Amino acid sequence: MNGAAAVGRRVLIALLTIVLASLFVFLAVQALPGDVARQLLGQDATPEAVAALRETLGLDRDVWSRYADWLLGAVRGDFGVSLVSGAPVGPDLLTAFGNSLLIAVPAVLVGITLALLLGVVAGVRRGRAADTAISLTALVLMSVPEFMMATVLVLLFAILFPVLPAVVLRGSEATPVELLPSVVLPAVVLTLAMAAYVVRSMRSSTIDVMSREFVVTAELKGLSPLQVVRRHALPSALLPVLDVVALNVAWLLGGVVVVENVFNYPGMGKLMIESVHNRDLPMIEAIAVVSAAVYVLCNLAADMTALALDPRLRTRRRRSA
Amino acid sequence: MPGIAEPLSRRTVLAGALGAAGLGLLSLSGCAPARQEPTIPQAAATGATRPGGRLRVARPAASAAETLDPASSLSAYEYLGALYNRLVKLDERGGTVPDLATEWSSNADVTQWTFRLRGDVRFHDGSAFTAQDAIASIAHILDPATASPQAGVLGEVIDASAMTAPDPHTLRFRLSKPNAEFPSLLAAYQCYIVPADAVGDARRTGIGTGPFRLSSFHPAGTGSVEAVADHFAGRPVLDGIDFFSVQDASARVNALLAGQIDLISQTNLDFATARVVAASPRATVARSENAQWYTIPMLATSAEFSDARVRRAMKLAYDPRRVVETALNGTGSPGWDNPVPPTMAAFLDEPRVHDPDKARALLKEAGAEGLSTKIYTSSYDAVFTPLAVAYRDAVADAGVRLTVQNASSDSYYTQVWMQEPLMVSYWFTGRPIDQLLGQIFRSGSSYNESAWSSPAFDAVLDDARAETNDERRRMLYQDAQRLIVEDGADMTPMFGDRLVGISRDVVNYTEYGFEFDHLSIGFRK
Repeated sequence: MNGAAAVGRRVLIALLTIVLASLFVFLAVQALPGDVARQLLGQDATPEAVAALRETLGLDRDVWSRYADWLLGAVRGDFGVSLVSGAPVGPDLLTAFGNSLLIAVPAVLVGITLALLLGVVAGVRRGRAADTAISLTALVLMSVPEFMMATVLVLLFAILFPVLPAVVLRGSEATPVELLPSVVLPAVVLTLAMAAYVVRSMRSSTIDVMSREFVVTAELKGLSPLQVVRRHALPSALLPVLDVVALNVAWLLGGVVVVENVFNYPGMGKLMIESVHNRDLPMIEAIAVVSAAVYVLCNLAADMTALALDPRLRTRRRRSA
Repeated sequence: MPGIAEPLSRRTVLAGALGAAGLGLLSLSGCAPARQEPTIPQAAATGATRPGGRLRVARPAASAAETLDPASSLSAYEYLGALYNRLVKLDERGGTVPDLATEWSSNADVTQWTFRLRGDVRFHDGSAFTAQDAIASIAHILDPATASPQAGVLGEVIDASAMTAPDPHTLRFRLSKPNAEFPSLLAAYQCYIVPADAVGDARRTGIGTGPFRLSSFHPAGTGSVEAVADHFAGRPVLDGIDFFSVQDASARVNALLAGQIDLISQTNLDFATARVVAASPRATVARSENAQWYTIPMLATSAEFSDARVRRAMKLAYDPRRVVETALNGTGSPGWDNPVPPTMAAFLDEPRVHDPDKARALLKEAGAEGLSTKIYTSSYDAVFTPLAVAYRDAVADAGVRLTVQNASSDSYYTQVWMQEPLMVSYWFTGRPIDQLLGQIFRSGSSYNESAWSSPAFDAVLDDARAETNDERRRMLYQDAQRLIVEDGADMTPMFGDRLVGISRDVVNYTEYGFEFDHLSIGFRK
């Protein structure tokens, strides 16, 4: 009963977050200098052509009525047509989102697993050689911006030793299978960039938990070090890291902009850059909604996992049963 | 804060990083001679070609709204020269030479022009090319619904009813006022000829008379063209060209270095990147000499620059040779504020003086001593910011204090251009002399970026158009250049070489102005 109300509240807040995000993005685009008519026609445009295009696209109407129209459409699942290509926004965005998932999902799976493992190892073996190596690598990877990492990887694996493509040439027309060889480098960059943060936070959380009384008790009981870590320390140590993981996953799905651009990868980040450049409002809005939804879902998932992992909650449940 | 350090754009940083990393790795691996500064080749490689092959070109697509309609301002430029022909084209000195028209002549007062057209030309769909196709194509440009950038230039002298075809291969224009340079106006890259019965379809079909026919086209995506074996100008060396859209400039360079593409179009490599490319084993740099015409428009309607003495001082104050050295590392030539490139036949070879003391005196006289204002730049072009900085430093001797202001590149030409008093800008060279002077400098022209208005200049231009003697007309165009150098508001500090990234396997690449040689380019034998 109480639980259902809490979930309902969470869902309501999530929806409100998405609507507010769409409103802020809408207003932000209005505040950008230049509109789609000017951006599309560019330097060569005659003033008459710009005025005519503006009227055709309905840009001469006021902001609020345009936002209301958009919101009504979006609620019914109609995100409108791109002001640039004239095609419905949905299919193009879905393709791009799918392509982004193609690099993001492997990055998340490999990156998080590896990062948690290395973080625990570094935390448990604090101050030893393994810790120094892991922490140093993580620090270096954190300090190097993604585009720099991407450039170095391209130099190594596409230019000096050409085993992988440097950029995607057949972008939006490629099938996922054709894209596969091009997925490797962007996925590796994302994995490295994301894993570094998670390693750092898992390490400090492990160190913190390992010095707690219940862990010391477990050690004194005579449990093997592996059992101490797995049964007692890990569940507690994971809790504070979950938020970091959720934030990183959300960043990954919503903001792979730089990485996709360097590889000319036809994902949602690249679509966003182009849409913002052209001031293609329906496309920007749809991307904002998808990004906000991903963000909200990641945080929701983190909270749920936290609930499931929290031993105190489990105890409470057992008592009431 | 301003004036000390402009915020570096991500692209600049990336190019720098790429440069550093690239040079390091390349010399480590022994691919480049160690410790030797890689130099940038003067000219593109020429030589014997092996027939066939497909050229892979990476291009920045403007947007998903791009079209193959040559008249449109949204045309996918790289495809046009492969798919279509014009009546006439331009040679490297700005002269008009035959394309679909073989010869042309005018009546005595240059109000009527008659073009003789080739009779052996077929469109890609098999239909024969006649004067009716030319009439329909030019009428399409003039149609206000097309909103063609060339409509204004042509509309000044003709309308759709001015064209007649006395026979299928003769085309006659009746001009509304005399124009001795009229044929050159038909050389613009909007003036490609499409079939009369399918003018509206050209944007998708790409049917023309060019050396290549379209096999696929996705706006802002990929596209391919295939050689036409029985083309009237001969068969192209290549079998076909594949176009790929790559938006990010550094991604285009990476694709070239990795051997995924053979040519980067519409991209002027910055000097650091050009050196990396020139040092690579797969790719090199070809120069398109004086292809970039850099300008510094002073808005003549602004409070700062409405006084002609101030404008004159801004010119006398700087030495363009110094600007070329600083901003282009010498890969260009000084402009001395004359917008006509030195390679053109009508060029006025009269260098103005560099005299900071006189500049100072003029400023004092105009009550603008110690003039202090902003000069706008953006990452729109790799050379903009170096140019703004070089100009700022060059005029400091005359007591002019400029602060360099970096503006966002995606709205530079909509929010800063023709609105701020002082900025840096550029055009591609390759306009015929009359169009160059008329479009950029004539009072009220929509491209007149400095809003300069000089009745004397407009009158000289009108006299030149009506002058039928070639030598006297050239002198009038030179008078017009003199007026621009002395009184004009749009400075031309320099012409830059465009540094084009190209594969080492490609030979006979030639590009000047908007002309690209599609027939001889091919792969090394």
